[in-house]
Amino acid sequence: MNIEFDKGSYRDPAGKIFYYKGRVLRGLNSKGVERFKHIKENNILDESIKQNFLIPTKEVTDLPKINELSEFDLILEHKKIDYITYPYEWCFDQLKDAAIHHLNFQLFLLEKNCVLIDASAYNIQFLNSKPIFIDTLSLSEYKAGSYWTGHKQFCENFLNPLILSSKKGIDFNNWFKGNLEGITTSDLNNILSLKDKLNFSLFFHVFLMDRYEKKALLKPKEISQQVEGKKALSKKSYKGMLLQLKKFILGLSKDKTLSKWSNYSENNSYNSEEEVKKIRIVEDFIKKNKFNYLADLGCNDGLYSFKSLKCGAKKVFGFDSDLNVLNKAYLNSKKNNLNFQPVYMDFTNPSSNLGWDEKERLGLNFRMRFNGMIALALYHHIVIGNNIPMEEAVAWLIRFAPKGIIEFVPKEDDMIKEMTKLKGDIFENYNEERFKFILEKKAKIVGTNKVSSSGRVLYEYSSI
Amino acid sequence: MKFFLIIIIYFFSLITSSYAYLDPGSASIILQSILGAIAAVGATIGLYWKKIKNVFFKIFGKKKNN
Repeated sequence: MNIEFDKGSYRDPAGKIFYYKGRVLRGLNSKGVERFKHIKENNILDESIKQNFLIPTKEVTDLPKINELSEFDLILEHKKIDYITYPYEWCFDQLKDAAIHHLNFQLFLLEKNCVLIDASAYNIQFLNSKPIFIDTLSLSEYKAGSYWTGHKQFCENFLNPLILSSKKGIDFNNWFKGNLEGITTSDLNNILSLKDKLNFSLFFHVFLMDRYEKKALLKPKEISQQVEGKKALSKKSYKGMLLQLKKFILGLSKDKTLSKWSNYSENNSYNSEEEVKKIRIVEDFIKKNKFNYLADLGCNDGLYSFKSLKCGAKKVFGFDSDLNVLNKAYLNSKKNNLNFQPVYMDFTNPSSNLGWDEKERLGLNFRMRFNGMIALALYHHIVIGNNIPMEEAVAWLIRFAPKGIIEFVPKEDDMIKEMTKLKGDIFENYNEERFKFILEKKAKIVGTNKVSSSGRVLYEYSSI
Repeated sequence: MKFFLIIIIYFFSLITSSYAYLDPGSASIILQSILGAIAAVGATIGLYWKKIKNVFFKIFGKKKNN
């Protein structure tokens, strides 16, 4: 029996995630069963699923009885998410929506005498551009007077990264990737100005929190005594705190700094006729193949991703290194309820295996399974912009999917002229003939289409 | 007797360990006690604010009518 335990599912000893024959399962021990029983018997589980707060979950008994599963008293099966993404791969509005989803879920649960015992952003995934909570074991009975155990984690996983981006114009992603538990309050407090700290939420959740965290380090006994002497927290106060945080987060918006690719859809080297031709070729390719999972590498604001969805692609994953355009794509897909998943990816430094034993958060290559891919106006940025050898860039691109389109941009194109204006032309062998030679060695060239007067060509390949 | 009852209620209303796998952190608990009090006061004021506003509008409205 081929059972694979999830290496990231170790924090809560009440249960473990494992995979079996493509199914996502969760084994619960007695502690986990106790928690699950409460939400099941009080109809909280069904209601949470019905209201789209929680991933569809059911009890299963059809697994063979083997030693590996003997530690569990109950096994649950969750609806499978096509592709797991991590908060450091999300754009600003994705993290904001995830934070609001978490708070709304808590408010919903509190009415039913239930709480979330943690506030990990990794417990939220996206289905059809909408956040969904995936960890059933996080739901537990509310004990009158209890404090919000996930508050600190909520600040580090949601609140602080959003403040960092909104108030200071610093994208949280690479910082978050460097510290998987999020942005610490101490780090954030150090870069906030006095004016920032005058805001009610920032004063309490960042400035004062940092003061108490530092005091807890310097005078642990004194702080411990203070905590022991604290009165119970009323439900009204608990709810009030959640509502106050929700109001504050709803008011946050991404810093409007213009990024490199903000206006690419409008300002590129194509004329409108050429762009129409390019769109038609991509649409024909999608209609012909009807991919279940399509990767749009360098998706920008999602123009080709959305066209692909209209032409029959079931789900599109849009990758880009520019968080501003990715945010625009997300907001568009959310508005139109599209099956589009934006993923932040620095193409020369994509997400790698991270965390405990280097297996807790998987790298991009270990999570992706695409049927098709389009890499439009990307190859020259990898080769000319980042000095990646032509052979390696082709090999990396076609590894994404067995079928795809790669756009080749020649040196005569204005975009490359601009890129090499100051850097100089150090790419003697960069030409279409060589690109074609390299691609032919690795895959079958199904078709070529010249799409611009500057000599841009779309290469359709198949490596099957 | 009343004194002992108050002591017993106070004792049981003191914070107890949640036995959660996640350490909530002492700083967070202290902060929540402050924020919780503010939120509770805010919620109470919110409840009465409408009533107070209605009373003011009634008085103001009467004056206007007069």
